[in-house]
Amino acid sequence: MLQYAAIVLIMLGLYGILTKRNVIKIIVSLNILEIGLNLFIVSVGFVDGGLAPIFTSQNATNDLNFVDPLPQALVLTAIVIGVGTTALGLAIAKTIYAKYGTFNLDEMGEK
Amino acid sequence: MSAILLIVIPLLAAFLSILVKKYSANILLVVSFASVVLLNYIPLEVITIGGFAAPYGINLILDQYSLIALYAVNVLFFLVVAINCAKFKKLSSILLVALAGLNGMILTGDLFNLFVFMEVSGIAAYLMTTTNQKPLATFNYLVQGTVGSSLYLLGLILLYAMFGTLNMQDMAFQISSSGYHIAVTAFPFLLMFIGFGVEAKLLPFNSWVQGILGSSNRLTGPMIASVYAAAIGFVLGRLLTELFVFEGTLLLIVTAILGFSIVAGEAMAFGAKKVREILLFSSIAQAALVALVFLSGFTGLAALLLIANTAGKLILFLITNTATDQLGNDDISTLQGLFVNNKVVGVSFTVAVLNVLGLPMFFGFVLKMNILLEFFQTDHLLWPAVILIVSVVEGIYFIRLLLKLWFKESDLPQVEFEFTLKYVVVVVAALLILFGVYTAPVEQAADDLTAIQYIEGGNL
Amino acid sequence: MKNFLALALSLFIGFLIIMSLRNNVAFPEYGTVNVASRVSQAYLDRDVTENPGTVIFGESVNLESGPANTVTAIVADYRSFDTLGEVTVLFVSSLGVALLLGTKKQKRLEVDFHPNFMLRVGSRALFGIILMTGIYVAIHGHLTPGGGFPGGAMIASSMLLLYLANDSFRAKIKGFKILESAAGSAYILIGLIGLLVGGYFLQNVLDNGTLGSLFSAGFIPIIYVLIGLKVGSEISGVIDNFLTEEGV
Repeated sequence: MLQYAAIVLIMLGLYGILTKRNVIKIIVSLNILEIGLNLFIVSVGFVDGGLAPIFTSQNATNDLNFVDPLPQALVLTAIVIGVGTTALGLAIAKTIYAKYGTFNLDEMGEK
Repeated sequence: MSAILLIVIPLLAAFLSILVKKYSANILLVVSFASVVLLNYIPLEVITIGGFAAPYGINLILDQYSLIALYAVNVLFFLVVAINCAKFKKLSSILLVALAGLNGMILTGDLFNLFVFMEVSGIAAYLMTTTNQKPLATFNYLVQGTVGSSLYLLGLILLYAMFGTLNMQDMAFQISSSGYHIAVTAFPFLLMFIGFGVEAKLLPFNSWVQGILGSSNRLTGPMIASVYAAAIGFVLGRLLTELFVFEGTLLLIVTAILGFSIVAGEAMAFGAKKVREILLFSSIAQAALVALVFLSGFTGLAALLLIANTAGKLILFLITNTATDQLGNDDISTLQGLFVNNKVVGVSFTVAVLNVLGLPMFFGFVLKMNILLEFFQTDHLLWPAVILIVSVVEGIYFIRLLLKLWFKESDLPQVEFEFTLKYVVVVVAALLILFGVYTAPVEQAADDLTAIQYIEGGNL
Repeated sequence: MKNFLALALSLFIGFLIIMSLRNNVAFPEYGTVNVASRVSQAYLDRDVTENPGTVIFGESVNLESGPANTVTAIVADYRSFDTLGEVTVLFVSSLGVALLLGTKKQKRLEVDFHPNFMLRVGSRALFGIILMTGIYVAIHGHLTPGGGFPGGAMIASSMLLLYLANDSFRAKIKGFKILESAAGSAYILIGLIGLLVGGYFLQNVLDNGTLGSLFSAGFIPIIYVLIGLKVGSEISGVIDNFLTEEGV
């Protein structure tokens, strides 16, 4: 089920990027797409009844049923990269606003 | 000497350079030159990082193929930087990161690590293009680049879910030994190919190119059209030969995309009225052609064709963008007669154009002829026909452009080309002629590259 | 019309993804993943380079990778090179934000928002707690969920609180720059120590200690503290850049 939710988020993000005409809304759509993707990555490693892949005094040995830790590590990297792109996108949005006085692509008077 | 230094030294220099802003341009120049020198001293090997062997850890692959790619990218990068570093001092740290990212992209043997380096060099590229003063085009580039790499990541994760590995070679091995029908990997491969297609300028995923290259300056034009194009082309080539398995419908889709890119790119270049637009549309067509040759399995020739094209594009974009900076726009009518007073630059420009066209006596000719011969041998008659026809179209618009640039009676445009730029373009042009006349090493290199023992799987 | 086309395209892509998953024999259904068939099992068993037998919390000594948190073991040890790239991404984007929004900044942005009494007092009380939590999370990254990135983000959020609570507050950005540069360089130097001593870049050449104790896992807590400092100072720098403008 979770995988379908992730795919729906990816579709929503894609739809937003294609249709929105506001720079900030496009960045938000991009973030929705990335969140959907991250959710999908985590879902790929899920095991029914699996434990978080951390050894603790309760879950002390490696014979236990852990979920796949690798997708979680990948998601960590993907999130940070997403943060970097978003920060940069917002900074570019600010320079766009400084130049055109609007965030709306239709009101800028050039392509 | 380990190839890891090619990534680590620029990174370390980037981290340190933000403290000594005054000298950051010098650091950039020294480091990019040091990378070129360092290339001569590194042995061919597979480098394990962190002491964990592949597929558990990340490895870097330095074989003949990546060595040639590194030479091309580092030399081109150094040339672009040498001409521009004084003017774009603010970008020095970012350019250092870009160098690390490009080298990492070429070297890495891990598919997720490739995604990371793609983002590193991608973000550096977005930042460079802000110097075009077209924030909207940069924003467009950023959105498309991010969507592209997200598609790549989605494809990669689907592959991981099926085969449980991220290492490129291990992935190819698992796929070929799993016994599953080829269709299970079709969709992930298509996603990854499209994701790369955005960066590699393949139609119809490349609407950022016009905004970026159409208003590029002396740094971004050569950097994106030449250095980045070379790096992305080589990585795409490695994926096409070592990992992707395209068969049946998928092969049809991919070839259709490539064929469409070639034909449409040339057609748009034919109709373009500005010099930079002609160059950027023709580079779209050439990127697709290189990918097509990789796809057909002629790895060595494709790699050399990529080098010939990107070296040519370096000259073309450098000269055009210098003239545009000084004249204000790049309409053909404005630049008409540019070379009447600048004969040296004009000859280099002409050599680069003729090389891209593939006329005899130039590097590009040797390659195009060999590619055609290879195609004839495999009884694929469609592609040679397409290549020949688009070459004619290319010939018409490029010769038309050259005639305009060389001949004008009066009212000549006044453009100053400084010595460094002249020196660089003449040397590169001389090399293009040298390898066009003295063909033996080229053919040898192409054979060597093709003869590499590829692992099981992939297209070969 | 354009919206409809976009909707159709998005639905088509979603449909393609779902179809390619459902009709795919190789793709494991949700929740039925066999971790043992993937490389991840070796990360859980810590048997990439050696065979330690059963890994036991609090007992296993000097494993090939020391963190009790296997995700950390992957992020900061098995695939540490990815993390170096990730740190670089954040570095270059914070650099880019500074470049785009102007470097000669003197004053805070004028906004229609002024902190009230509650915010001023509350933020002073919370600042220390958030900062300490951030540092705690970064230091304990190898034992508990968290690590350098969330820790650094928390440190930066405590800085954001200071910015919100005081109209004229500005952090010492120069200090952040030095911290950022030093932490990044130290990460690479640790990698180079691994190259010189152990023969592999980013190799963990320190003793890994007992699984689960605070002083274990060799370089990893050090790396995570460095990452925490670096991420914290970078995001703080980004915040400062968005909240200030050029002028007198």
